[in-house]
Amino acid sequence: MLLKDQVAIVTGGSRGIGRAIVRALAREGARVAFVYKGSEPAARELEAEVAAAGGLAKAHQGDVADPEAARRIVAGVLADWGRVDILVNNAGVIRDGLFVRMEPDAWRQVLSTNLDGAFYFCRAVADQMVFKQRSGRIVNVSSVAAEHANPGQTNYAASKGAVNAFTRALAVEVGGRGVTVNAVAPGFVETDMTEAVRNKAGELIKKAIPLKRLGRPEDVAGVVVFLCSPAAAYITGQVITVDGGLSLGAVVA
Amino acid sequence: MTQDEIFEKVRQQLVDALSVDEDEVTPQARLQADLNAESIDFLDIVFRLEREFGIKIDRNELFPESIFQGDPDFVQDGKVTPKGIEELMRRMPYADLSAFAKDPQFDKIGDLFTVDLIVRYVKSKLG
Repeated sequence: MLLKDQVAIVTGGSRGIGRAIVRALAREGARVAFVYKGSEPAARELEAEVAAAGGLAKAHQGDVADPEAARRIVAGVLADWGRVDILVNNAGVIRDGLFVRMEPDAWRQVLSTNLDGAFYFCRAVADQMVFKQRSGRIVNVSSVAAEHANPGQTNYAASKGAVNAFTRALAVEVGGRGVTVNAVAPGFVETDMTEAVRNKAGELIKKAIPLKRLGRPEDVAGVVVFLCSPAAAYITGQVITVDGGLSLGAVVA
Repeated sequence: MTQDEIFEKVRQQLVDALSVDEDEVTPQARLQADLNAESIDFLDIVFRLEREFGIKIDRNELFPESIFQGDPDFVQDGKVTPKGIEELMRRMPYADLSAFAKDPQFDKIGDLFTVDLIVRYVKSKLG
């Protein structure tokens, strides 16, 4: 067990990639607090599933775009378990659409959840990790979309590009006190978020991926676990792409 | 608590916050010039002093941020004016500014932040 007794917080943990991350961290012995916004049945199911496997996962309701939620939830985790070793900022949304028709609220919602949410949660754990513990691991879930642009995702790409820059800038500030900050950039992963695109263009996308398959949430979770583990102690400020080679841009005849 | 007892506790906190050796933390040691403290270290020190001594330190109390902020009333030609010295004395009543007042170079304000300053500050807060 790589993370025995460590305390982890995972935002957007009830579904998709976040769910796989919660499971993977719990399997390595971590006590996992995860945040969900609306999917309460899924959240309860995940708690039960982790408990049945001998682990510990606790759901906290909240909207990551609300700074008060981050403060409340982190305070709750500290009250329950006394420390925070790992923070995974995974909560993310898309509001895809052509830029020339994009409304301000589609822009705002994506930036608020994907970028501001990461800020609020990092800020809420900072005192604990940086000053009280002088140790911690922060992993931000980004996307290849930050660098590998697709039509219809100006807001999403902007939010993830910002997450990458935030990852680097935060890493240099807190590195001196034992906290590493990294990001994972998934490619196309089989989750609710990509369902519409997969239905439309799934086979076409697979052809463009050197490893010839879409990603699974577990593929991303594995890299997150690695970044939280002792083996990654000297890695910080990095964005690790997990996309089966998609962003290499190979054109398959 | 005696001044010596305060010094011992402050020294331990500085050793932990700045990762320096005990013998580097003398009363005259300057936080920046001698102990290599950076901005984040100042925050850490405030945090630790609050916890160690059970006191509350306001944001701008012990290490006033951007002292004077280029105000011409307080700083002229790189020197702190008499009005500026007065302002410093008002903000840091526990400090000994006599040496600084003799040659008040603005970019030497950092040298005021010594271990002894912290000890005096804590003593004044514990009253």
